[in-house]
Amino acid sequence: MSVKVRFFARFRELLGTDIIVDKGPEAGMADLVREIARQNEEGYKAVFDEQGRFHEFVIVMRNGKRVLISDVEKIILTDGDEIAVFPPVAGG
Amino acid sequence: MITIQTEDVDIGALITSAKKSGTGAVVVFDGIVRDDDITEMELEAYEDVAVRELEEIAAMAKEQFSLLHVDIIHRIGRLSPGENILVIVVSAGHRPEAYAGSRYIIEEIKKGVPIWKKELTKEGGRWVPGEHGHGSGRSH
Repeated sequence: MSVKVRFFARFRELLGTDIIVDKGPEAGMADLVREIARQNEEGYKAVFDEQGRFHEFVIVMRNGKRVLISDVEKIILTDGDEIAVFPPVAGG
Repeated sequence: MITIQTEDVDIGALITSAKKSGTGAVVVFDGIVRDDDITEMELEAYEDVAVRELEEIAAMAKEQFSLLHVDIIHRIGRLSPGENILVIVVSAGHRPEAYAGSRYIIEEIKKGVPIWKKELTKEGGRWVPGEHGHGSGRSH
Protein backbone atom coordinates (compact mmCIF):
# COMPACT_ATOMS: atom_id res chain seq x y z
CA MET A 1 0.00 0.00 0.00
CA SER A 2 1.38 3.39 -1.03
CA VAL A 3 0.39 6.68 0.64
CA LYS A 4 1.51 10.25 -0.04
CA VAL A 5 2.03 12.68 2.86
CA ARG A 6 2.21 16.40 2.13
CA PHE A 7 3.23 19.08 4.60
CA PHE A 8 2.85 22.78 3.85
CA ALA A 9 4.34 26.12 4.93
CA ARG A 10 6.42 25.89 8.14
CA PHE A 11 5.69 22.18 8.48
CA ARG A 12 7.08 21.61 4.96
CA GLU A 13 10.27 23.46 5.82
CA LEU A 14 10.80 21.23 8.85
CA LEU A 15 9.53 17.87 7.59
CA GLY A 16 9.65 17.93 3.79
CA THR A 17 6.71 17.17 1.51
CA ASP A 18 5.37 14.76 -1.08
CA ILE A 19 6.65 11.88 1.02
CA ILE A 20 5.68 8.54 -0.47
CA VAL A 21 5.36 5.83 2.16
CA ASP A 22 4.88 2.12 1.53
CA LYS A 23 3.01 0.55 4.42
CA GLY A 24 1.38 -2.76 5.15
CA PRO A 25 -2.38 -3.03 5.63
CA GLU A 26 -3.98 -1.59 8.79
CA ALA A 27 -1.67 1.45 8.91
CA GLY A 28 -3.22 4.24 10.95
CA MET A 29 -3.29 7.82 9.66
CA ALA A 30 -2.18 9.54 12.87
CA ASP A 31 0.55 7.00 13.58
CA LEU A 32 1.97 7.47 10.08
CA VAL A 33 2.19 11.25 10.53
CA ARG A 34 3.83 10.77 13.95
CA GLU A 35 6.34 8.33 12.46
CA ILE A 36 7.38 10.82 9.76
CA ALA A 37 7.42 13.82 12.11
CA ARG A 38 9.73 12.03 14.56
CA GLN A 39 12.52 12.38 12.02
CA ASN A 40 12.84 16.06 12.97
CA GLU A 41 12.41 17.11 16.61
CA GLU A 42 11.44 20.68 15.82
CA GLY A 43 9.01 19.46 13.18
CA TYR A 44 7.45 16.98 15.60
CA LYS A 45 6.96 19.69 18.22
CA ALA A 46 5.41 21.97 15.61
CA VAL A 47 2.72 19.39 14.83
CA PHE A 48 2.25 17.46 18.10
CA ASP A 49 2.04 18.37 21.78
CA GLU A 50 3.93 16.68 24.61
CA GLN A 51 1.30 13.93 24.83
CA GLY A 52 1.72 13.13 21.14
CA ARG A 53 -1.63 14.69 20.19
CA PHE A 54 -2.01 17.01 17.23
CA HIS A 55 -1.90 20.66 18.30
CA GLU A 56 -5.38 22.16 18.24
CA PHE A 57 -4.52 24.53 15.39
CA VAL A 58 -3.16 21.86 13.04
CA ILE A 59 -5.29 21.07 10.00
CA VAL A 60 -5.31 17.56 8.59
CA MET A 61 -6.81 16.50 5.27
CA ARG A 62 -7.35 13.12 3.69
CA ASN A 63 -7.76 13.22 -0.07
CA GLY A 64 -8.50 16.94 0.01
CA LYS A 65 -11.13 16.84 2.76
CA ARG A 66 -10.63 18.14 6.29
CA VAL A 67 -10.83 15.56 9.05
CA LEU A 68 -11.25 16.07 12.78
CA ILE A 69 -8.41 14.95 14.99
CA SER A 70 -10.75 12.57 16.77
CA ASP A 71 -11.29 10.88 13.40
CA VAL A 72 -7.63 11.02 12.39
CA GLU A 73 -6.81 8.71 15.28
CA LYS A 74 -9.32 6.13 13.98
CA ILE A 75 -8.67 6.25 10.25
CA ILE A 76 -7.01 3.26 8.63
CA LEU A 77 -5.30 4.28 5.41
CA THR A 78 -6.05 2.82 2.03
CA ASP A 79 -3.83 2.52 -1.03
CA GLY A 80 -3.42 5.82 -2.88
CA ASP A 81 -4.49 8.06 0.01
CA GLU A 82 -3.08 11.59 0.08
CA ILE A 83 -2.62 13.03 3.57
CA ALA A 84 -1.99 16.75 4.05
CA VAL A 85 -0.93 18.39 7.31
CA PHE A 86 -0.60 22.14 7.66
CA PRO A 87 -0.77 25.14 10.00
CA PRO A 88 -3.58 27.75 9.95
CA VAL A 89 -4.02 29.31 6.52
CA ALA A 90 -3.14 32.91 5.73
CA GLY A 91 -4.15 33.58 2.14
CA GLY A 92 -5.76 36.68 0.73
CA MET B 1 -11.79 32.83 -14.01
CA ILE B 2 -10.85 31.10 -10.77
CA THR B 3 -7.15 30.39 -10.62
CA ILE B 4 -3.93 30.24 -8.65
CA GLN B 5 -0.96 31.42 -10.66
CA THR B 6 2.47 33.01 -10.45
CA GLU B 7 1.82 35.61 -13.16
CA ASP B 8 0.21 38.99 -12.58
CA VAL B 9 -3.20 39.71 -14.03
CA ASP B 10 -4.70 42.46 -16.22
CA ILE B 11 -7.35 43.93 -13.94
CA GLY B 12 -8.70 46.19 -16.69
CA ALA B 13 -9.42 43.18 -18.89
CA LEU B 14 -11.15 41.43 -15.99
CA ILE B 15 -13.40 44.45 -15.41
CA THR B 16 -14.32 44.51 -19.10
CA SER B 17 -15.25 40.83 -19.11
CA ALA B 18 -17.21 41.20 -15.85
CA LYS B 19 -19.67 43.61 -17.48
CA LYS B 20 -22.28 41.02 -18.33
CA SER B 21 -25.76 41.93 -19.48
CA GLY B 22 -27.64 43.45 -16.55
CA THR B 23 -24.53 44.69 -14.74
CA GLY B 24 -24.98 47.85 -12.72
CA ALA B 25 -21.88 47.62 -10.56
CA VAL B 26 -18.44 46.02 -10.64
CA VAL B 27 -16.39 45.79 -7.43
CA VAL B 28 -12.68 45.04 -7.53
CA PHE B 29 -10.72 43.86 -4.49
CA ASP B 30 -6.96 44.04 -5.00
CA GLY B 31 -4.87 42.64 -2.16
CA ILE B 32 -1.32 43.95 -2.34
CA VAL B 33 2.03 43.08 -0.74
CA ARG B 34 2.36 45.79 1.92
CA ASP B 35 5.72 47.42 2.40
CA ASP B 36 6.19 46.35 6.03
CA ASP B 37 9.96 46.57 5.84
CA ILE B 38 10.09 43.29 3.94
CA THR B 39 12.14 42.46 0.87
CA GLU B 40 9.67 39.99 -0.64
CA MET B 41 6.69 37.84 0.21
CA GLU B 42 6.62 34.13 -0.59
CA LEU B 43 3.23 32.53 -1.15
CA GLU B 44 2.48 28.82 -1.14
CA ALA B 45 -0.75 26.91 -1.81
CA TYR B 46 -2.13 23.39 -1.64
CA GLU B 47 -3.17 24.10 -5.20
CA ASP B 48 -5.66 21.37 -6.07
CA VAL B 49 -7.62 21.88 -2.88
CA ALA B 50 -7.30 25.68 -2.89
CA VAL B 51 -8.68 26.02 -6.44
CA ARG B 52 -11.58 23.71 -5.64
CA GLU B 53 -12.39 25.72 -2.50
CA LEU B 54 -12.15 29.03 -4.39
CA GLU B 55 -14.60 27.63 -6.94
CA GLU B 56 -16.98 26.63 -4.13
CA ILE B 57 -16.73 30.10 -2.55
CA ALA B 58 -17.39 31.75 -5.92
CA ALA B 59 -20.44 29.55 -6.53
CA MET B 60 -21.80 30.29 -3.06
CA ALA B 61 -21.24 34.04 -3.51
CA LYS B 62 -23.01 34.02 -6.88
CA GLU B 63 -25.99 32.30 -5.37
CA GLN B 64 -26.22 34.31 -2.13
CA PHE B 65 -25.63 37.76 -3.63
CA SER B 66 -27.06 37.29 -7.14
CA LEU B 67 -23.68 38.06 -8.70
CA LEU B 68 -23.49 38.01 -12.47
CA HIS B 69 -19.76 37.33 -12.68
CA VAL B 70 -16.90 36.34 -10.34
CA ASP B 71 -13.15 36.24 -10.94
CA ILE B 72 -10.70 35.16 -8.24
CA ILE B 73 -7.00 35.20 -9.07
CA HIS B 74 -4.64 34.33 -6.20
CA ARG B 75 -0.94 34.53 -6.90
CA ILE B 76 1.78 32.31 -5.47
CA GLY B 77 5.57 32.40 -5.61
CA ARG B 78 7.78 35.35 -4.68
CA LEU B 79 6.24 38.81 -4.85
CA SER B 80 7.71 42.24 -4.15
CA PRO B 81 6.06 45.02 -2.12
CA GLY B 82 3.41 46.73 -4.22
CA GLU B 83 2.60 43.64 -6.30
CA ASN B 84 -0.88 42.15 -6.52
CA ILE B 85 -1.51 39.08 -4.34
CA LEU B 86 -5.22 38.54 -4.79
CA VAL B 87 -7.64 40.05 -7.27
CA ILE B 88 -11.38 39.54 -6.88
CA VAL B 89 -13.70 41.03 -9.50
CA VAL B 90 -17.45 40.70 -9.09
CA SER B 91 -20.37 42.19 -10.96
CA ALA B 92 -24.01 42.50 -9.98
CA GLY B 93 -27.10 44.38 -10.94
CA HIS B 94 -26.72 46.81 -8.02
CA ARG B 95 -23.92 47.99 -5.73
CA PRO B 96 -25.14 46.46 -2.43
CA GLU B 97 -24.90 42.95 -3.87
CA ALA B 98 -21.56 43.66 -5.54
CA TYR B 99 -19.97 45.06 -2.36
CA ALA B 100 -21.43 42.32 -0.15
CA GLY B 101 -20.43 39.55 -2.55
CA SER B 102 -16.87 40.82 -2.81
CA ARG B 103 -16.57 41.10 0.98
CA TYR B 104 -17.99 37.61 1.45
CA ILE B 105 -15.42 36.12 -0.93
CA ILE B 106 -12.35 37.68 0.71
CA GLU B 107 -13.53 36.75 4.21
CA GLU B 108 -14.21 33.14 3.20
CA ILE B 109 -10.75 32.90 1.59
CA LYS B 110 -9.15 34.13 4.81
CA LYS B 111 -11.11 31.58 6.86
CA GLY B 112 -10.01 28.39 5.23
CA VAL B 113 -8.44 28.22 1.77
CA PRO B 114 -5.05 26.46 2.09
CA ILE B 115 -2.68 29.28 1.12
CA TRP B 116 0.18 30.62 3.22
CA LYS B 117 2.40 33.71 3.18
CA LYS B 118 5.96 34.12 4.37
CA GLU B 119 7.41 37.59 4.83
CA LEU B 120 11.06 37.71 3.79
CA THR B 121 13.31 40.31 5.39
CA LYS B 122 17.04 41.02 5.37
CA GLU B 123 17.26 39.07 8.63
CA GLY B 124 15.36 35.99 7.41
CA GLY B 125 11.67 35.27 7.20
CA ARG B 126 8.53 34.56 9.16
CA TRP B 127 5.26 32.87 8.29
CA VAL B 128 2.26 35.15 8.55
CA PRO B 129 -0.08 33.78 11.25
CA GLY B 130 -3.58 32.91 10.10
CA GLU B 131 -6.52 34.97 11.33
CA HIS B 132 -8.69 31.90 11.96
CA GLY B 133 -7.81 28.94 14.18
CA HIS B 134 -9.87 26.33 12.38
CA GLY B 135 -7.62 23.42 13.24
CA SER B 136 -8.68 19.81 13.08
CA GLY B 137 -8.50 19.66 16.87
CA ARG B 138 -11.44 22.03 17.23
CA SER B 139 -15.07 21.22 16.69
CA HIS B 140 -16.52 23.23 13.81
